[in-house]
Amino acid sequence: MASLSLEHVGKKYPNGYEGVKDFNLEIADKEFIIFVGPSGCGKSTTLRMIAGLEDITSGTLKIDGRVVNDVEPKDRDIAMVFQTYALYPHMTVYENMAFPLKLRKVDADTIDKAVREAARILDLEKLLDRKPSALSGGQRQRVAMGRAIVRAPKVYLMDEPLSNLDAKLRVQMRAEISKLHDRLGATIIYVTHDQTEAMTLGTRIVVMKDGVMQQVDTPTKLYNEPCNLFVAGFIGSPQMNFIDVKVSEKGAGVALTFGSNTITLTGPKAKALKDGGYVGKVVIMGIRPEDVVEEHEYAEGRTLSETFPANVTVYELLGSEAMIYADVDGGQISAHLSASSSVRTGSKINCSVDLAKIHLFDKQTELAIAH
Amino acid sequence: MANLATSKAGSDRNRTFLMILIPVLVLFVAFNTIPLLTGFFYSFTNSKGYGPFEIIGLQNYIDLFQDARVGNSYLFTFKLAVVSTILVNVLSLILAIGLSSKIKFKSALRGLYFVPRILGALVVGYVFTYFFTYIVPAVTGTDSILASADWAWIGIVVVLVWQACAQTTIIYITGLSSVPEDVYEAGALDGATGWDKFRYLTFPLIMPSITTNMVLVMKDMLMVFDQIVAMTGGGPANSTESISYLIYENGLNNSQFGFQCANAVLFFILIAVVSIAQTKFLNSKEEQL
Repeated sequence: MASLSLEHVGKKYPNGYEGVKDFNLEIADKEFIIFVGPSGCGKSTTLRMIAGLEDITSGTLKIDGRVVNDVEPKDRDIAMVFQTYALYPHMTVYENMAFPLKLRKVDADTIDKAVREAARILDLEKLLDRKPSALSGGQRQRVAMGRAIVRAPKVYLMDEPLSNLDAKLRVQMRAEISKLHDRLGATIIYVTHDQTEAMTLGTRIVVMKDGVMQQVDTPTKLYNEPCNLFVAGFIGSPQMNFIDVKVSEKGAGVALTFGSNTITLTGPKAKALKDGGYVGKVVIMGIRPEDVVEEHEYAEGRTLSETFPANVTVYELLGSEAMIYADVDGGQISAHLSASSSVRTGSKINCSVDLAKIHLFDKQTELAIAH
Repeated sequence: MANLATSKAGSDRNRTFLMILIPVLVLFVAFNTIPLLTGFFYSFTNSKGYGPFEIIGLQNYIDLFQDARVGNSYLFTFKLAVVSTILVNVLSLILAIGLSSKIKFKSALRGLYFVPRILGALVVGYVFTYFFTYIVPAVTGTDSILASADWAWIGIVVVLVWQACAQTTIIYITGLSSVPEDVYEAGALDGATGWDKFRYLTFPLIMPSITTNMVLVMKDMLMVFDQIVAMTGGGPANSTESISYLIYENGLNNSQFGFQCANAVLFFILIAVVSIAQTKFLNSKEEQL
């Protein structure tokens, strides 16, 4: 297995468009790195540059310390699983998986052993004689994984490998990939636009937007300490609530005012606002739906703010819990409720927020001020 | 009520289909089916193409197999067709791969290579006759190959291949563009580059185009006529007399109408057999994609 290093890697197309800008990342051996971001953010381009399918127009890419910018894809010792699976339609499952080894002139016995071992891991043993056209989406996906596994490459690249599967299969395969990572001890770079996949699979997540890396961190840190408004909004579903609040001094702390509502904040967050010169200015308050508490909900162990009234406009029962979307003076807010709550569409409720979970962002730069 | 409305709409649609279909059917029967059946009938007669005739049963067919000139025309035609078909397909595939790669002026070049297809075969034949008769001998100091009974067929192959490559190349370009790019990308990572890429990925994946082209080109080459008329008139010494040309020449000009009708029927059956055999064989090589 291997480590990777991307130093100031960039991709500029002949028409001048910059797909990826100054990308810097060190990937350690056995890491499971996720590139996540909205469509067109450059995540797939970055992956394809690592694979060698796209030229790197600036910067250096190293695998195990060796610069591979100009090395042919086949000589980089990487395997890739494509979104479309890219199976060879004229070959059987066995031939598909044997193909990379056959081209490397591996002897037939070794190939057979490797293919059968991969087939066993991926439960493909009964399908070895079939052509891809006779397989279901999930089976094709597994063959694509198998073709990568047989080579035992230094690095696995996966480009949205689950996005063409139905929801149930996707959850199942997600678990399979996770197991595979543990089992193979492989370095994996995985591209997705699905933040659930990102959160569940990755040891570290790279959030990208418009070709620029926004934040690289562990899932927990990314969720709890997003570095800017984009990351805060992108990670987490349903997304974080954002409300414009005016900051004013209030005793030792600060008051955050939106509409006719006020929340009093003390401690390090209040200090950060004061020190940053935000008193008298408008900042963005971010609060996740699970950190908005309706007055009848269980809230032991939480430090709650003052309550503020809200009119529920949408109520969604999700089974084990419920979601509400409500209008408040000065903004809108979504919140998690327990399924037993009597709140319904049209209810007038009182909410508060968990003060420890408030995120504050600069309105101009959109960077985080405090978490 | 609803049913009535549906069936009325249905009959309206049927009428539209019939209005489109009937004129074409009438024309097809009048100019294709009736002549075919008439020709089949005349193949059992000793008709000269004019005047009275008698029905002579299978005599024409028996004579066909004993006629040296007919035999030679079959040998010549098949030799020409096999050589040309192979050359056309190999050259067209190479051209198509070139014209599908990342090159400058791709569209313009594709257009240029298609030009031979829109030129009349007779015109091309006459132009190449001039080329072989005057230009090549002037440059090389040799006689025209069209004047040699041994070499004239090569001249015809050159013209046939030059012209047939246009359409064949287009079909190969279409075939190549139908191979998904991600298969090549997966191949690039797996190590299929250069010749391996062609052998293991491109070739099997364009097999359907190969079948189409082999059958179409073979059929066209077997039916070679215009180029013979323009270039050699079947000569020298009947050495380039194709089957079509012989049927036309002796059937219409040399009073062997009944006999050449029998030849035409035999030729029709042969082309059908060759085409079916080719399709069967090549289909078995095609992959279920």
